[in-house]
Amino acid sequence: MEKILDTLLSVGIAVGASAALWVAANLLFNQVTTNWRRFNTAAGATIGFLLMVVLDGNRLLRSLGPGSDTIGTIPAFLWTPFIGAIVVGVIAGYLSSVDDPGRRLLISVASFGLLGVVIGLLLEDAYKPSFDHVALVGWTVGLVAVGAVLSALRERPPLSGALIGGALGWIVGSFGSATLGTGSTAEAVIGAAVPAAALGWRFGRTPNADDATRGRIDNGSRAFIFLAPALVFIAVTLVVPTIRTIYLSLLDRDSEDFIGFDNYQSVFTDVDSFDVGSWTNIFTSRLFLIGMVILAFALAVAWFGRKSSGKAFEVGGPAIGPLVIAIFLLVFAVFSVLRGTIMNNLWWVFTVTLMSTALGLAIAVLADRGRFESVAKSIIFMPMAVSLVGASIIWRFMFVARNENKPQTGVLNAIWVGLGRLSTGNGLPTLLFGAAMAAIGLGFLALLAKSLVRRQWNRIPLLGLAFAGMSWFLIRFYSSGVGGIRTNASGELKANPILFVQEPPFNNVWLMVILIWIETGFAMVILSAAIKAIPSELIEAARVDGADDSQIFWRVTLPQIATTIGVVVTTLIVLVMKVFDIVKVVTNGNFGTQVLANDMFQVAFSFTDTGRGAALAVILFLSVLPVMYFNIRRMQREEV
Amino acid sequence: MTAVKSLSPLSGMGATIRRLLRSVKNWFSRLGASIYSSLRSVPTWILWLVVSIWSLPSVGLLVNSFQTRDAQRAGGWWKVLTGQGDFTLDNYNTVLRADTSAKLTDSLLNSLAIAVPATIIPIAIAAFAAYAFAWIDFKGRLWMFIAVVSLLAVPLQVALIPLLQLYVGGAHLTLPFLHKTITLVPDFDLAGTTTAVWLTHAGFALPFAIFLLHNYISQLPADLFEAARIDGADHFTIFWRLVLPLSVPVLAAFGIFQFLWTWNDFLIANTMAGSNPDATPTTIRIANLAGDFGRNEHLLPAAAFVQAFVPLGVFMGLQRYFVRGLLAGSVKG
Amino acid sequence: MKSRWLKLGTVLVAFSVIAAACGDDDGASGGDGNPLEGTSVTVTGPERAEEEAGAIQQALDVFAEANGMTITYTGDADWEANINTQVSGGNAPDISIFPQPGKLADFARAGDLVALNESAAAATSSNWSEAWTTFGNVDGVQYGVPVKTDLKSLVWYQPSAFEAAGYDVPTTWDDLLALSNTMIADGNTPWCVGIESGQATGWTFTDWVEDLMLRTVGADVYDQWVSHDIPFNDSRVVDVFNMVGDLWGTDGAVFASGGSIAATAFQDNGEPLVDGDCFMHRQASFYAAFFPEGTVYADGSEGAVDVFYFPSISGDKPVLGAGTLASGFNDEAATMAVLEYFSTPGYAEARQNAQTALKGGGLSGFLSAAIGQDPGIYQGLEQSFLEILSSAEVVRFDASDLMPADVGAGTFWTDGTSFVNGDLTAAEAADKIEASWPAG
Repeated sequence: MEKILDTLLSVGIAVGASAALWVAANLLFNQVTTNWRRFNTAAGATIGFLLMVVLDGNRLLRSLGPGSDTIGTIPAFLWTPFIGAIVVGVIAGYLSSVDDPGRRLLISVASFGLLGVVIGLLLEDAYKPSFDHVALVGWTVGLVAVGAVLSALRERPPLSGALIGGALGWIVGSFGSATLGTGSTAEAVIGAAVPAAALGWRFGRTPNADDATRGRIDNGSRAFIFLAPALVFIAVTLVVPTIRTIYLSLLDRDSEDFIGFDNYQSVFTDVDSFDVGSWTNIFTSRLFLIGMVILAFALAVAWFGRKSSGKAFEVGGPAIGPLVIAIFLLVFAVFSVLRGTIMNNLWWVFTVTLMSTALGLAIAVLADRGRFESVAKSIIFMPMAVSLVGASIIWRFMFVARNENKPQTGVLNAIWVGLGRLSTGNGLPTLLFGAAMAAIGLGFLALLAKSLVRRQWNRIPLLGLAFAGMSWFLIRFYSSGVGGIRTNASGELKANPILFVQEPPFNNVWLMVILIWIETGFAMVILSAAIKAIPSELIEAARVDGADDSQIFWRVTLPQIATTIGVVVTTLIVLVMKVFDIVKVVTNGNFGTQVLANDMFQVAFSFTDTGRGAALAVILFLSVLPVMYFNIRRMQREEV
Repeated sequence: MTAVKSLSPLSGMGATIRRLLRSVKNWFSRLGASIYSSLRSVPTWILWLVVSIWSLPSVGLLVNSFQTRDAQRAGGWWKVLTGQGDFTLDNYNTVLRADTSAKLTDSLLNSLAIAVPATIIPIAIAAFAAYAFAWIDFKGRLWMFIAVVSLLAVPLQVALIPLLQLYVGGAHLTLPFLHKTITLVPDFDLAGTTTAVWLTHAGFALPFAIFLLHNYISQLPADLFEAARIDGADHFTIFWRLVLPLSVPVLAAFGIFQFLWTWNDFLIANTMAGSNPDATPTTIRIANLAGDFGRNEHLLPAAAFVQAFVPLGVFMGLQRYFVRGLLAGSVKG
Repeated sequence: MKSRWLKLGTVLVAFSVIAAACGDDDGASGGDGNPLEGTSVTVTGPERAEEEAGAIQQALDVFAEANGMTITYTGDADWEANINTQVSGGNAPDISIFPQPGKLADFARAGDLVALNESAAAATSSNWSEAWTTFGNVDGVQYGVPVKTDLKSLVWYQPSAFEAAGYDVPTTWDDLLALSNTMIADGNTPWCVGIESGQATGWTFTDWVEDLMLRTVGADVYDQWVSHDIPFNDSRVVDVFNMVGDLWGTDGAVFASGGSIAATAFQDNGEPLVDGDCFMHRQASFYAAFFPEGTVYADGSEGAVDVFYFPSISGDKPVLGAGTLASGFNDEAATMAVLEYFSTPGYAEARQNAQTALKGGGLSGFLSAAIGQDPGIYQGLEQSFLEILSSAEVVRFDASDLMPADVGAGTFWTDGTSFVNGDLTAAEAADKIEASWPAG
């Protein structure tokens, strides 16, 4: 019970405090246009508070209190920030109502200078600097020059930059490069007061903002307020580690010596990353031949289609289906021959992205407005809830193969071996199964005939392919047999299960199936949300114009959700590129299934070869950049 | 029709045959109609075919979760269809009761303490940022956005060690030339707490969250914003009153994913909080239940269902926010 | 300029508020008298199943309660990688239990581990024979305390099945080969072999190679092989690869319950042995945990399983062992006191009793060669393991655990698996492994 409360409390405080701060920042900057003076006071108070928090928090200041932990009921460490807030708030608030430039400058320099003196006086003995005059002058002059030049470059008065540079230089010169703890109070006061006065000068020089400037401040600050939380998180969790990784990738395995690009070279020259030696085998593979036949078919369809519609390849047109299938087969032919970690990654990206997006889209569309929509979607979504590790374990059960003398316990092999027994048997089940398959084949034929009669050309090529495939299956079923059965040396029929996980190169595809099983739910959810956001007026208008379901899909739905499909595809590419858990759990990279992320994890964390691990991470990161490039192009077009 | 006519010379056989022929004809035309209507519903068949294929692994898992270890190993789960199962609740009993590294209730709470802030905080932060990238004009907007989204590609494994160092010792910067070290982030002693885990998740989630939310928010109709601005609304008001309510579906979608990913994460939790049994979420507990060399693998099906229970609930709960026509009526034309 | 700083500060404060609200308090208080009073020590290790982790915790609690301290054991499902992350991230536990002396030595040489203090080192050397303490000894300094020992040179079999078929337990290598051939000729399958083991697939193959290396080239060359004084692709290593490959590759020699050796999970070999699908299974002492429920051990009854010693070739009876070693990441008194306790027979007895109770029957799977334990707490079969261990003239640690992780938990497994799967020849596999050996 206590644990529940603790948890709730800490989560509540964390969320509440962050939200409150963010809203407060917004409210503060609302004052820029409504009440300039209140804005200045509040902003000054905040700065004063923070300044003192930093100084006091680092134990730079002498304790104000009598040594106890609290003064009154407030912890002592909170007093200093409050005093700082009041002082700076009052100064800033008062200055905002002074418009005379001379008085403004005088008051500003004097009050800031005084604040500096007080801070100098409060400084702990251990931090009092003994000046190194050369360094002091050097840093100050140097940074004054830098500040002036920067200001000049931004076409601002050089003095502004010079003052800030000078303040910074003075602080660095007096505290940074000096020995701390041996100096006098006077030195501490000078060290603190001079830069404070310089900042006062800088602040006092600027006149109170007119309406235009205030509008600019308002707009600029908004962008910053809205972005700052995200940028801070991203900088800490992603940017810094990425820079560190790039740096480490140039060092050796213990991160001691700089070795240039040796790590990258060793990755790219390793046959395990790239094994393209047997590329000629591509052209003799069965996949390649079938793919080429279908490609020829697609081109033929496109050639005839061009005569009727004027366009060879049209979205939703008759040639697209066979073309996609042909490309798919040809790509598989390439990836099943060219092996290695990097090729595996590309294969994963191609297959999983394409299949998940297509299936997710199909389900989102088919289930939309249908009966039992939420049931169907929940079932498709279910794998996402099971976690990558969980899913991998489930599929390991699916993929299990058993000894040829034992019953198969994995679903897939049970089906495969069962199919083999059916096709080699000649009992009633074989007849029934053959009849059922023949019925489905005839169904395709009937659909084909119907489409021909109704002149629905778009459907004909795919239905033709489906019918051809079914016929081929039936011929094989009754002639040489299909499925997991073989005849051994002594003429007995034995089960011949597929070793889904162990037989390269298509074990990779079986691992991909796991990710497709999971990510289809992801694509479906996002695409479904996008489909729901299409104004129903559009669809009704199309229906009034007499469009059927498939026309509505190709002409209305698809263009409306095109950018969302882009988001899904981009996300999936990146996500699949980083695929890790599935490979780690199922094969750990054995049997030619290694992928970059798992390789990196093994090398960096198990083998502690930091340099090579970092290089693999950088390669992974860089390989996704082309995708980002296309996103840039798309966004730039949208901006225009 | 023609068939009946050609048969008419035989009609001497009487009305019976005619009736019979008519009913045969009707039967054929009904068959034709039903074939046609079933062809029309082919897409629905495909949907349910896919759905049943998709549920196959889960069904097997569910059945196995109720079977004894030896039964799970001995035969396929479909054996239960022929009554050969060996059912038991022991797996669930062990999963729910065992206190290997933590009690189930404790680890569930830890999972919630990680997943809830790790979902809400990035949603809020990313919504701010997505709004800024979409509707606030500032210099370098496009490039900053691209940079943020490119970070999607960073494999999170590279951040494990630097972040752990940050949580253990804070961040310190040694100034070049001056040989002085200043503390950027003090040591909050976060290693081994759920806070460390959700802070990490929150950071990793942002590129994707901003990417997804930006896609949606940037496509809200510009007229809405102009109208609001003419009414004198500032960015804060527009964001709060207009953008947030209109973005509910995408916020729900992202919320679901982020909750799932953080709920099911093992790697980050194990790195950041694995050293402290009081802070470990259910994933770590289950991994420990399975034992080394997978000797208790028979517990995993039951554990997977216990683990998936909460996220499925979240999905069902948030699914109703995917509503159609949120924008209906708000856009003219 | 000003507003920018302000917002940066706001975020910083937000961070610190969040962090302060959520940070844990640690409330350690010193006690009087016993210096250990009130201290707490964290221990991590790869053993995490309820029986193992629970038994370790219970055994540690005995010491903790006696001294008014707390000791927390955390089993880590990804210990291999996580310990590296934790050490690099500055979040190392006080003590970790290493299954690999090689890794322990790496950490010790990198200065992450702390040598045992005098009293812990003394306790270790008096409670353990030098054969075992040497694995925790790095460059002459004692860092590790042995806490668990496994015996790997064992062959599991069913005496009743042997009897029924008229086979004798082989005592020499030639007998073993002859027996194997006789079985094949009789239409029986001699061996159950499976090398699939999830992320560690291939380790059972390395065990076979190591056992045969010890038997063919002797302990000295074995040591050179481990320390890379002879290359991994030395012809003697390749020969052993081929020896294993020939034995497994003989037609009818192996029953692979998963369809092929590489596809068979190593834990799936228990049922076939009990069911009589195969007659012998070479696997370590802890394999007892993987037989089907209700299996009985070495009580002479029908169907009971027993072990015999994996025969030697030249008669010198070498033993391949493995085990775990505890070592500390700091030299605090409490850490050292716990390490000292780890070395004692008292710890071994407490763990054995706890683990037997948690298993609820059968063998516990735990074994310790600590000197001075009460032998009565071990069952008959476990006692015979201990006997083999103590009577062995030559004991060598599992080589893959001693080699650098790149090899021992990397290519030796993966390329070995490729060899078994027929994707590489023995020489190709050995060459690849040699190439992966980290330089320097």
